[in-house]
Amino acid sequence: MPPRPPLTWSSLPALALRPVPASLALRPVPTSLAPHTQTRGIRSILPVDLRLSRWDQDNPHAKSPTALSTDKALERKSYTLPHRTGVIARKKGMTAIYDPETGVRTPCTVLQLDRNQVVAVKTRKKHGYCAVQVGFGWRKPQNCTRPELGHYAKARVAPKEELHEFKVRNEEALLPVGALLGPSWFKEGQFVDTKSNTKGHGFTGGMKRHGFSGQPASHGNSLTHRAMGSAGGSQGSGSRVHPGKKMAGRMGNESHTIQNLKVLKVDEENGIIVVNGCVSGPKNCLVNIQDAKKKPWQATDLGLPTRPLSLETVVEEAVVAAAEPVGDAEVVAAA
Amino acid sequence: MAAQRRWHTIIPRDQLSNPPEGIPVTWLKPRKKLSKIYVHPPPRSMPKKCPDPVGVVTASQLATLDSSGARARLFDKENTEGVRVGDVLHVRMREGEPVSGVCLNIRRRGVETAILLRNQLTRVGVEVWVKVFSPLVQSVEIVQRRVRRARRARLYYMRQPKHDMGSVEGLVRTYLRQRAVLGSGGKGAAEMLGKKGKGKGKKK
Repeated sequence: MPPRPPLTWSSLPALALRPVPASLALRPVPTSLAPHTQTRGIRSILPVDLRLSRWDQDNPHAKSPTALSTDKALERKSYTLPHRTGVIARKKGMTAIYDPETGVRTPCTVLQLDRNQVVAVKTRKKHGYCAVQVGFGWRKPQNCTRPELGHYAKARVAPKEELHEFKVRNEEALLPVGALLGPSWFKEGQFVDTKSNTKGHGFTGGMKRHGFSGQPASHGNSLTHRAMGSAGGSQGSGSRVHPGKKMAGRMGNESHTIQNLKVLKVDEENGIIVVNGCVSGPKNCLVNIQDAKKKPWQATDLGLPTRPLSLETVVEEAVVAAAEPVGDAEVVAAA
Repeated sequence: MAAQRRWHTIIPRDQLSNPPEGIPVTWLKPRKKLSKIYVHPPPRSMPKKCPDPVGVVTASQLATLDSSGARARLFDKENTEGVRVGDVLHVRMREGEPVSGVCLNIRRRGVETAILLRNQLTRVGVEVWVKVFSPLVQSVEIVQRRVRRARRARLYYMRQPKHDMGSVEGLVRTYLRQRAVLGSGGKGAAEMLGKKGKGKGKKK
């Protein structure tokens, strides 16, 4: 039996310097191991500089092909990345708005914002991309896990019902943590994209889910009127069902983005944003609203704010809220 | 505050100083006491402040479209002198021909409130939905009241030949002539006509 190669590469001199035993010389040497000294271990306990090297451009380790290709990818994508963060809203229902002059009726959806606050930001240096994490509403601290409570405590905000991360183009779009975003973040006449989950339909057949034609009602048909029919050819096409074949299954409750909805009304006092047309999902579903990707940047024309309410205002609000009885918001979670 | 979880209580604390036989000592290490996390109070709730945003938008619309509230009263369910299904109505538009017909359905949806009018033009049944708060609708007048209160919310049975009322053109013409003779009413008096129409209904 030939001698086994040593298991710990780092404890030995470089492979090239070592005399190769005759019995090993004929074996193919794994190329990936040849020039490097591989370090094995748990990532989370490695020194910080090694952990961050992947994205940090100041770090010499960042010259890796991964970092460079990520740079290029972000550069390519920056064309469609919004300049500002979005907000989370709740869909409250639909109505219409009339123009008193022309009499034109515009169907619209009413969305309500609730305590949108910046909970965290992601940076190019630390995370590889820029994004703003926004929280919506309020959640009882009893219904949060300890890690979640820690996350909110670090941001000095109350526990949130929902968190969502909005990707933004660059570091300039990052907002201070704790900042409050209201409806005046958007302006009337502006275009936005809304993203929400569609209504769930449960398990549906092929006719409803994919618009199949079904079978005739008569002409000798019996008991198959809404079936999907054949799932594919026989031996000629491999006697198998091709991947992605449309079939019966669960329909709806999928994320759906509607682009370029015009903002018709903004009511800061009541937290209302009214957008043109319909938004996917049932009433009371959560909707992510962000500046329209496919419209030219309208900040200068409309005077869109790039900074939210001052943090002092947020603090004042919190103080006022703390004075009011809000159940057990003062709960201090302990073991 | 948080409930003690099952894996915390493998061994009760009072037994810690008194380890049972055959159990590794590491199990019996006292659990590190968890630090407290401060929970910040939330800002003021928007749903509490404004529980019905759709109502707010509707109200702001009605404030401009129906500032006196007269039209809302005309289609109010509680108003006994308002429009009811089965009444023959005459709707003047800001531009174009007026619409008239028997009211089959009143769809009450705030600013979206609409009525379904059925008439016959050249012996063909025609139905029109009219959005009553539209700025294009100048007035809604009650030509004739239904003699008895309809016992249905929607009079779709009036589409059947047996129940079809036919053309209301004659009724409307008579009404308009009478109104011209009396010299009352006229433009902008739509909201008065709830009372007036009722009087006529009684007369007939």
